[in-house]
Order: sequence, then C-alpha cells, then structure tokens
Amino acid sequence: MDDLLTDFIAETRDTLEALAGEIVAWEADPADKARLDAIFRFVHTVKGSCGFLDLPRLGKLSHAAEDCLAEVRSGARTPDAALVSAVLAIIDRIGELTDALEANETLPEGEDEFLVAALAQGPAPTAENHATVSKISVMPSNAPIRTGSRSIRLPVELLDRMMAGVSDMVLARNELSRLLRAGGNSSTTEVAFERLSLCVGEMRDAITRTRMARIEALFSALPRMVRDLSAELGKTVRLEVDGGDVELDREMIEMIRDPLTHIVRNALDHGIETPEQRRQAGKPEVGRLRIGARQSANQILIEVSDDGRGIDAERVVKKAITAGLVTTEQAAAMSWSRKLDLIFEPGLSTADQVTGVSGRGVGMDVVRANIERIGGTVDIESNPGQGLRLSLRVPLTLTIIPALTVSSNGTLFAIPRSAIDELVRPRSDQVRIERLGGELVAFIRGARLPVVDLGRFMELTDEADPSLLVVLRAGGGERYALGVEAVHDHEELVVKPAAPALMASGVYAGTTLPDNSRPMLLLDVAGIAAAANVCRDQAVVEETPVEKRTARAALPTLMFRDLDGVVRGVRLSLVERIEDVATASVVDTGGVQMVPLQGRLTKLHKASALPESERLRLLRLSDGEGAVAYAIDQVIDVVEMRAELAPTTVAGPIAGVVLHEGNPVEMLDAFWLFTHGSTAPAREDSPLCLVADAEDPWAREVLAPLLGAAGYRVMFAGESTDDRVSVVVTSTGHTPEGVDAPVVRLRGTPDHNGDESIYRYDRDGLLSALRRHVAGGK
Amino acid sequence: MALYLIARIDREVVALPATEIGSVVEVDQVAAVPRVPDHVAGLFALRSRVLTVIDTRASLELGTIDRNAAMTAVIVECDGHSYALLVDEVEDVIEAGQPEPCPALLSASWRRAAKGTIRRGEDAILLVDPAVVVAGPEPLAA
Repeated sequence: MDDLLTDFIAETRDTLEALAGEIVAWEADPADKARLDAIFRFVHTVKGSCGFLDLPRLGKLSHAAEDCLAEVRSGARTPDAALVSAVLAIIDRIGELTDALEANETLPEGEDEFLVAALAQGPAPTAENHATVSKISVMPSNAPIRTGSRSIRLPVELLDRMMAGVSDMVLARNELSRLLRAGGNSSTTEVAFERLSLCVGEMRDAITRTRMARIEALFSALPRMVRDLSAELGKTVRLEVDGGDVELDREMIEMIRDPLTHIVRNALDHGIETPEQRRQAGKPEVGRLRIGARQSANQILIEVSDDGRGIDAERVVKKAITAGLVTTEQAAAMSWSRKLDLIFEPGLSTADQVTGVSGRGVGMDVVRANIERIGGTVDIESNPGQGLRLSLRVPLTLTIIPALTVSSNGTLFAIPRSAIDELVRPRSDQVRIERLGGELVAFIRGARLPVVDLGRFMELTDEADPSLLVVLRAGGGERYALGVEAVHDHEELVVKPAAPALMASGVYAGTTLPDNSRPMLLLDVAGIAAAANVCRDQAVVEETPVEKRTARAALPTLMFRDLDGVVRGVRLSLVERIEDVATASVVDTGGVQMVPLQGRLTKLHKASALPESERLRLLRLSDGEGAVAYAIDQVIDVVEMRAELAPTTVAGPIAGVVLHEGNPVEMLDAFWLFTHGSTAPAREDSPLCLVADAEDPWAREVLAPLLGAAGYRVMFAGESTDDRVSVVVTSTGHTPEGVDAPVVRLRGTPDHNGDESIYRYDRDGLLSALRRHVAGGK
Repeated sequence: MALYLIARIDREVVALPATEIGSVVEVDQVAAVPRVPDHVAGLFALRSRVLTVIDTRASLELGTIDRNAAMTAVIVECDGHSYALLVDEVEDVIEAGQPEPCPALLSASWRRAAKGTIRRGEDAILLVDPAVVVAGPEPLAA
C-alpha cells in the first residue's frame, strides 16, 4: 500500500502544480468551461484515489468539491466569487493534507467542515467565511518545508536514456576489459579497472531497478473491475489476488495491462457461469477468479485461473472451420492443445452472443500478440466444465536478456535462455537424429522433434550435421530442436532492437555486443520455427508411434538385481507381472520348485537359494501361452537396451551379455526358461485326453497332473463330455467303450516288450506319443 | 548554403547532406548476417554501438563493394537506428547552394535515390538520400 500512497502523493502534487495556473484563470473567469473541467477532473481523481487508499478526510473534501462543481457544470449553479473561493480553499487544503500525509503529520480536523460549509449554497458569503477562506488559503506558504521526499516522478524517456547510457557503459567496460587483457597491463591498472567495473555493474543494477515496479500497480485496479463487471453480468465472483509484490519493468507492466484486463473480462463474461448455472452444475454459487504472479528464474509468471465452464476445444475447432481458419482435415489431425490454441487466431470468438463486455471476435489474438511482442508467451489450459487457466510468461526486463551463445560454421548467435528447454547431444539411443526425406528429425527419449539445422537454415552451409541439439519452445507449447555446431557461453546480454531490414527477416529478435565486441544477433525462436515451417504439423508428427522405430535399435528391458547379487536383464515384453508371494508358498517337489501364481503352480527359476525373508519377489514371465516364475531381489529400472548380445557358449538360463552404458548386463534366456518348465494352462480348445483307468491312483495322482502340466485337458473314463476326445491313455490295457480316438498304452516296466506301449515314467516318450496322436487325429 | 559530404559509389560521385551524417569511419570486421537482403552487409561495432552496414553499391544495384579490403563508411542515423554506409571513397566536404532538380536521364535506382543535384564548381553532383540507400533496392514488382 505504501507504494500506492507514494504514487498518489506524487501524482496529486504534480496535478496541483499543473493546476495552479488553471485555478487562477478560473478565478478570473468563473464561466470558463475548460478550466472548470480541469479542476473537476482533479477533484474527481482525488476522490477516487481516496476511496481506494482509505483517506476519509481527503475523500470528504474532494467529494464536496466534486458535487458542487458537478452542479456548476450541469448549469444548476452559476459560479460566483464565493464558490470559486470555496473550491480553491478546498484544493489548497488537499495540497496541505497531501503534504501532511507525506510528512506523516496530522492537520487539525475542525477546519474541514468550514470549507465544506463554504461550498454550500449560500446567498452571499459572509465576511467571516471569507476571512476563514483567505486565512486558510494562505497557509501553504507557511507550510513546513517538504521533508525527505520519498519519491519523484521521472519521464520514462529519461529513464530510457539512463538505461541506454548504462548499457553503453557496460559495453565500453567490456571492450576496455578486452584491451587490458590483450595489453598485458600492470596489476594497479587491473585493480582500478576492477573497481570501475564493479561500479558500472552496480549502477546498471540500480538503474534497472528504477525501471522496476511492483506488479500491484497492475492488480490494484482489478478488484473494482471485477466487482463492477460481475454486478453488470449478474454473477457473483470472488477474486483472489496473490503475488502483488513481484517486481517487473514499469514498461512491461504497461504492456501487460491491456492483455490482463482482457483476460479478466473474458473470464467473467464467458468463463464463470451465473449463480443459477453454477448451482445446476453442482458448483458453489460464487465463482472463483484467481490471479497470481510469481517470479520463476528470469521470467514473471502471471496466472489467471477461474473455475468457470472452461473452453471446449472441439467448439473452438468448429468455429475455426466455420470461419475458414482451418480445414476439416487439418482439424482432424490436431491435438487437443493445438485446437485450444486456435483461440488465439485472429477473428475467432467463442462467444455465441456479443455482450457489452467482450466477445467481439477481437481479443485473444491481440493478447497473444501483445505478450509476444515483449518476448513473452501465453499458454492456455482448459478443463471443460471445470475452469480455465491462462499463463502469461514475460521477461523481467526488456533490455537485458540471459542468453546462450551458440555457433554454426563460425558464426555466433544468441538464444534467449527463456526459450531453451534443454541441451542434448545426439549420440545415444535415447537421443538421435534421423534423416527423413532430406529433413532431420530428432528422437529424444521417445519424443519426436523436427530439427532446424542452424548452419543450413542460416545458409552458411549445405551440409546439416549438428553435433548438439538445443531444444526450444516456440511458444504455444510447440517445441523443436535447433541443431548447432557448438555451445559457447551463457551470458547476460544487453539487447537492442535491430535495424528494420534485419527484423524483416523474421528470425532475429535484436542485436547485442558481447565482450569480444563482435556484434551478434539474438535469434527469434518463434520466428525461426515459422520460417523453417517446423511447427505447423507437429501435432501430427507427435502422434505417430515411435515404438516401432525404437524397437529395431533397442528393446525395452527390465533390469533387476538377481538373488545372487548380479544385475541381470530380461526383455520387458516377456514380463507379465512382478509379484510378491509368501516365501512359504513355494512348493519344493523333487528338486523342482513350484509357486502358485494366479491359481496355478508355476515353475520357479532362481539363480541361487531363496532368501530367508517372508516375502519373495517374482517376475512372472510369459510367452503368451506358458508361464514361468523367476525369483529376483529387486527391480532396478526399465531401460532401452541394445538388441545385440554376446551369447554364452553354455546353454542355461543366461542367454548372453549386453553392454549397457559401459557395463555388461546378463540377459535371461527366455527360450531356455520356457523349455525348462513352462506351465501352459489348459484351454477350452486344448486337446482332451481321456485317462482310461479312473480307479487307478497312479493315473489320478501321477499321470493326470503330468498331462495337465503338458497342456492337455484331462478327463477320466466314466465322465461325460460333449467334446471330442483327442487321445486315450491307458496303463491297464482297458479302453473305454464308444470312444473313437487313438490310444496310447503305458506299461509298468522299462523293458521294451515289443509292442507300441510306452514305459509310464518315460515322460518324453509319453508326451511325444501324445503329440503325435493328437496331430494325427486332426 | 549547406555542407555536403562528397563520396564515390562505384564510378559515380555523389553528395550526402552533412547534417544527416554522424561521422566517417574505417570499417573492418563486418559480422555477416544471414537471411537478409543483399544490400545489408552485416553488423559492425563502433565502440559500444552496433551499426548495420549497408553496401551502397548493392543498394543502388551497382554490384557490390569489395568487402575484403579496408572499407570506408559514412555513419548515418535513420529512424532511430545507426547505419554504416559503405562507399568506395570519401572525397571531400563542400559547401554548396540549394539542390536543383535531377536531370531527366537517370537509371531507375539513381532516380529513386537522388533528391537533386548540387554544384561543385562546374560539375553537377547527385544528392543522395541516405534513407533510400538504407532501405535498399525496391523489391521486384509483384
């Protein structure tokens, strides 16, 4: 509030000084309409500010004067000498009170009433009144000398000149510094220079600060605006303002004022619903409008969010198609955010009816243009039915920009750091560049970005071979990668506008002179995107699947720590799930460990003895049919790992070794794991195996589980089924009546007795016979 | 009477109004600027100022000035920006009377750039408007 008060005092005093002449002229000719208007405006302004600043005394005085002057203006009263004197007395009083306010003093109260009373319609001024008035109007001359003025008002041009001067000083310092370094100077010169350098730096900071003002100056008008507008629109809105103490370039504040006002108006008019609609939508009747500012790095982020109906991107698209801004085909290929971005296109308004507040089809495009002109960005987030959030990002100042210096083919350029997402080197599987139809495309951790090669774009070379990629935000959420040869430095650059011929190219944002005193151009990140045509169809580009591409070179691999402490990997596609089971549930049968997973005993593979912990972590590996379990210690990560592996010479659970980030990783041999104990579940269409000896415990307890584990459906003689029996197994020689299926006979002894029977513990022989018969039966 | 700077562009001796000229400097190390019209030779740092270097020959469609040799430039201000106009030679500063109308027979680019002629002794010298030179050749009629 202090700042506002200071502003008020300075402004009032300025106007008073300017008004002094007017007052005298008005006194001479009370009928002079122009003078009257000037004085009326003054008291009106004071009255307005007083209400806001909670200055009741000043408010009362100015209100009285305003009323009286309004009557004069409307012709209800003719200004006579008494009235003029009374008004002048009040204006003088305002001056005194303002001085007192600044000096933090209080003036005696009582006399105010006299002044107000003097204004009142009176036939003729009494002598006494006159005396009072004249006495008071003399007072300013005796008023104490203004002490410790806390603020002065300066023309912005003067500030600009100071700023330009300091910028020049910084550059001159840089040049001097370079000369000193080249000249092999003495240490005394160096010390003196350091001191100068420090002073220049401090001065630059101080002058930069003179341009700064609290963003409160921008927010202070909002409560009133929201109140008036919502009353006009018949809505109830609660405004929350946050972060008014964030400092911003004064000029920047002025540049943001209109866009912000527009956004707030839109939120009230189109965003927030009427209390009735809100009640029906199940929302609190009072709408919420939040405006906040905060500094993030070298940018100021201003967010305006409401809990209104949001913007439906589909509706925006329909409007855009109707307005001929996009074709139906283009629209179909657009992502949600891209569609939403259409709101910023000129000539598009989603308001179905034009109201007095907004919705005339101008606006959001102007908002974006204004913000982008000062190097900022506008992002929109919409949650239909829930609300809308607009984020304005603007740089702190207009002139000093933190930038990254890059080069291609020996030419240096600066990129505003605010536009840089990241710097990557295309060398790994995660980050690489591919050529598609002569154009470069970068794959960065699965995302596909168009590449603009700086050297080729700037016509410095025909060959595009970037060694580094600078990922840039072109505004509107679009990104692209700028391929450069080298990145040099990060510095704060004093940026000046470039000549029109340079700006016309659309790819430069300004010129700057770094320490080496070689002029350099600041790149216009969005301009390059437009000139290189990279972001136009990005939404389409992003939606094409990247998995297929990456599959060739690298496979997603689950890395885990095995029970024996070794880091191993298994292709992610094989891992059906990772499960924790009770260690006690592992069944040890004849040296083979099984674990119940999803109601079925599954063969458990492990690299070493099971831990003694209560729980055991398992990978359930599946080839689509059968499944095995693999006990592990812990999962490390899922990574992209190259497909080529150095195979082991011995068959076993390890297929081979893959180098990952320089470390060998053993890969599980899925083939071996599945051939050794995969349990495929019997399915509806699995071959049905009829066991003839229903009464034989061996057939029930030994044979049937074996068949089940091998993937056959098992039924015993005497049970009925509608399905066709594929094969009959018998160990006693009996075959059930009326079953037309091949028969596999088992015998009790290993000795071969001449017939086609199979020894009942010859597992492989039995299974292969079954397979043969089932295949033959079909 | 007014002061004029006499310079040579290609083979033509021209006059520039001295009131519009900041200084005359030797230019070396012009930083090239890609993707701009041909008459923009690049950027040049004069102390802490960055000047846009204009090749006057290219601007008047008379070829280009040899940018490898030491170059002479006339510094002018135009719309708040500083430019260094590369010329082949700066000859003199003279006093001359009011400019007279141009002769009728001039090539198109000279016709655009010349504001009139001034007299140096017996010779008539074309008075060139720096702003036109800065703006460069007119884009081909569409």
